[in-house]
Amino acid sequence: MATTLSHLPKNRPDLRQHRTPGRKNPGKQAATLVALVAGALFAGLPVLWMLSSSFKTNGEMFANPPRLVTEGFNLGAYTEILTDPVKVRFFVNSYVIAFAVTGLTLLVGILAGFAFSRFDFPLKKTLNVVIVSVQAVPPITLLIPYFGLMVALKLYNTYPGLILTYMVFTIPYAIIMLTGYFNTLPRELDEAVKVDGAGPWTALWRILVPIAVPGLVSVGIYTFMIAWNEFLFALTLTRTEDMRTVPIGIQLLMGQHSYEWNQMMAMSILGCLPVLVLFLFFQRYFIGGMTAGAVKV
Amino acid sequence: MGVSSRRRVLLPTAGLAVLALVAACGGGDTAGTGDGSTEAGGDGEVTLEFQQWWEPELPDGEFRALIDRFEEENPGITVELLSGPYASTKEQVVAGAAAGTMPDVVGLDGAWVYDFAQQGAIADLSELMTEVGYDDSELASQIEVDGATYMIPVVNFVYPLFTNDALLADAGVSEVPTTRSEFTDAAKKITDSGTPGWIYPLSLEQPSGIQNNVMSWVWASGGSMLADGQPDLTNEDVGSALEFLQGMWDDGSTAPGAFTMKEQDMVEEFTNGRVGMMIDSLAHVNLIRESNPDLDFTISAIPAEDGYDGERGIPYASWGIGVADNSENKEEAFKLVEFLMSQETNSELSTMANAFPGNSTSTPDFTDSDPIFEEAFAIYQEGYPANEFTGLPVAEELMRMFSTEFQKALNGDQSLDEAVETAQAEWSSEF
Amino acid sequence: MTTTRTTHRPPREDRPQAPPPAARPRWTAALLRRRATPFGYLSPTIVLMVVLMAVPIVMVISYSVMDNVITNRSPEPVGLANYGTILGDPAFWKAATNTLAFTSVSVVVHLVLGLTFAILLNTELLGKVTKAVFRVILVLPWLFTVAIIAVLWRMLLSPNGVVNAILESVGLIGGEVEWLSNPTTALAAVTFINIWAGYPFYMISLLAGLQGIPRDLYEAASIDGAGPVQRFWAITIPQLKPLIISLALLDFIWTTQQFALIWMTTGGGPIDATEVLSTFTYKLAFTRYEFAEASTAAVIILAFSMVLAYFYARSQRARD
Repeated sequence: MATTLSHLPKNRPDLRQHRTPGRKNPGKQAATLVALVAGALFAGLPVLWMLSSSFKTNGEMFANPPRLVTEGFNLGAYTEILTDPVKVRFFVNSYVIAFAVTGLTLLVGILAGFAFSRFDFPLKKTLNVVIVSVQAVPPITLLIPYFGLMVALKLYNTYPGLILTYMVFTIPYAIIMLTGYFNTLPRELDEAVKVDGAGPWTALWRILVPIAVPGLVSVGIYTFMIAWNEFLFALTLTRTEDMRTVPIGIQLLMGQHSYEWNQMMAMSILGCLPVLVLFLFFQRYFIGGMTAGAVKV
Repeated sequence: MGVSSRRRVLLPTAGLAVLALVAACGGGDTAGTGDGSTEAGGDGEVTLEFQQWWEPELPDGEFRALIDRFEEENPGITVELLSGPYASTKEQVVAGAAAGTMPDVVGLDGAWVYDFAQQGAIADLSELMTEVGYDDSELASQIEVDGATYMIPVVNFVYPLFTNDALLADAGVSEVPTTRSEFTDAAKKITDSGTPGWIYPLSLEQPSGIQNNVMSWVWASGGSMLADGQPDLTNEDVGSALEFLQGMWDDGSTAPGAFTMKEQDMVEEFTNGRVGMMIDSLAHVNLIRESNPDLDFTISAIPAEDGYDGERGIPYASWGIGVADNSENKEEAFKLVEFLMSQETNSELSTMANAFPGNSTSTPDFTDSDPIFEEAFAIYQEGYPANEFTGLPVAEELMRMFSTEFQKALNGDQSLDEAVETAQAEWSSEF
Repeated sequence: MTTTRTTHRPPREDRPQAPPPAARPRWTAALLRRRATPFGYLSPTIVLMVVLMAVPIVMVISYSVMDNVITNRSPEPVGLANYGTILGDPAFWKAATNTLAFTSVSVVVHLVLGLTFAILLNTELLGKVTKAVFRVILVLPWLFTVAIIAVLWRMLLSPNGVVNAILESVGLIGGEVEWLSNPTTALAAVTFINIWAGYPFYMISLLAGLQGIPRDLYEAASIDGAGPVQRFWAITIPQLKPLIISLALLDFIWTTQQFALIWMTTGGGPIDATEVLSTFTYKLAFTRYEFAEASTAAVIILAFSMVLAYFYARSQRARD
């Protein structure tokens, strides 16, 4: 097996490396830079405001005129969150759930995407329509029957309950993206294993999946974010404090009478850090990643 | 594809196996966390689940400490506190009631009681009180649906008038207004000197502004929005209050942003000295003091119609309590209710929450608290607590319908008469 | 377009989607196995969807033909009466119109912004590090949970908020604009927030798509004398089209169900200016307890999106 596969590329060549740098045109360069800075202000200022608010005291939050830079750099909100075992538990729960959802979604999505990409079978179109459109049922109407189902399956207030629930939402997305991704990979690749008499299973795991790593990363990051940020089902399907996730922790700070503004902001800054780290870590893959997947969907 | 291969036995069994595994873990985990509303242990041990939004609102650990005392006094009963965000409590109760997993004891808002009672989610407490032989004479109020009690207000948050001393003085308003015309006048003067005079929230997400900041004007002058338990929005009292509010809207004395404003936003504006007067919950006093220690403000009764000298209704919101209809431990559940309503506990709890007790013999301990609470208590005792939305069907939706029509009128899309007529018709169809 | 190819072949010559039709198959054990294989791969998906989705969806459909459910212990079938009620309710149509406006503007602007930023980030005029920094900043809005996006923008857009302070200081507006509370600007304001929160999804995907367009296509076009604008319309857009279609489809479906953002910023108000199908359905279900009618609205939305999905599936086939 190894010998027959050795001629295949281990890593996808990075097209960017083959590019020759364009001629530098100072006017154009400046225009691009200006446009990007404008975009960065649009995207970044609200986040900067959030960041600065997380260092304010609750009283300073609504100072008039609004202040971007805080007077006393106050870490109170962060220490209060990080020293509260209940709140730390929210983060742990979110991690466990988001990682499990991501791993399982990729696994199931790879299998299904492979089937849609490499086989023709009856009901293919119907299944496609179903997979796309079930996403459109307003979750709020599904809530009660779904909740009843989870209780009946004894999955209420458990990790697996939330994990399976999020998979229902992430798998259609993963299938759509991964089907397209596999579609762009040449069939000759799968044929190579035939020489050894191996079947599609081997072709999938030995050849397609290793090549598809970038696509998997991009789908994985998005899946992670869906699972990390979901609120409605996380709230309904959990009952005890030790099962709650970060978005619920944030909403718990929005009380009946008042908001803990600085803690809310600090918690969401802390909440976005793992996703940001993942994004930075996988950035190279991510940029190249969705390419093939999406192009042919 | 479909290349023939000798090993194409249903390959993805691996995937299935994973799912099966996950499901299996699910089964395993539930054993630890419980799958229903209650679990009765081997030796008469009972675990009560108490779902509420109070614990996160109170100072850290204080509510739990109170409950610990209950557990000590009642060996054999343990209480598990399930805390959720206030804004989502209602959905949780509905879903729990539908699936039969509702916690034994639930925190309730008066606006939800009718619906939950109708749906059979919460138990008839009158029956329960008779069963356990409870003497309800100390209860300040009970929320009834069709003559039976379904909710007991544990503590009440009253909504007096808050005025910013400095802004009033700057505008040359020497005394806190006590009548509507004085109020209009003061609001105008404050507005003219640079800050909006009056603020109220009409958000459709949390439409309680209709109860606390709009209808409260009706109640403060002894008026009512109901007649014989049926909607009566077209009456004189409602009409004059709305006209009064529209007047302040039209002359620009109302702070901007009212249509999507929530109670919390209003308080931030007041706390930061950006508005002269508001009607707000006493629960906010500590928050205002903490956020802006320099702010001097006064609380007083809500101004009444000129010439009115009767008793003034003062709006309030409650933390109420109810028992799940499907609870298997109703008796133990009621013990918890009894405990929270007892003179001593109720005093303590109301002190903690800066609220007024639901037990008429309890008095909050004002020694360590803001002097303003004592003043407020006096106002509270002079008037009568008024909240006509409590115990009405789809109460929150009623407020929302009313808010929508009122907003249309303020926005100039229709007259006030049209607004109350439409709202009256919409309300009538819900009763 | 895959990065495995370093030389360009026109897309039409792509690998065939299905193997060339074999000789007419006979029903043999081998054929049966072959037929079963794809379903084997799909089995985890099918099991998960059937167990967790089919039951609730079937229940929702059955609720829609009952008088009332969940809060009613003995529901009675009423046929299609609920459909008549919902479809005859002007509030439903107002919500549908708002949803359509909110969704289509969001999707189009998401696409335009996402594509613009993607092209800017794909430039060769800037250094790697500069681009990486901008990439991270531009992706930020994507990283927050909806609840926080809602409270953050409520704060920024409040009459005394930062947005007004900034716009006033540069002289664009005079006085306190009530972005979210004014019936004429509210829908635009929530759409704006949704745009802010959603464009990075396109930006990242399209950026990836751009990396995959073979460079020689552009070079060939340049030799033929095509300018940047022509190259954009003749190469970039056609090459990205399949990607754009799937992104837009997913975004369209996700945006039509956007609930939390609108609910937490405006509650569907002022008046009914930002009432969308999701807030309409929520109110039916959880403040009026009309679960049957809420389910009816859900089924109508489902039917509509099935039509959309059908065209999507067809467009996908045609391309193969």
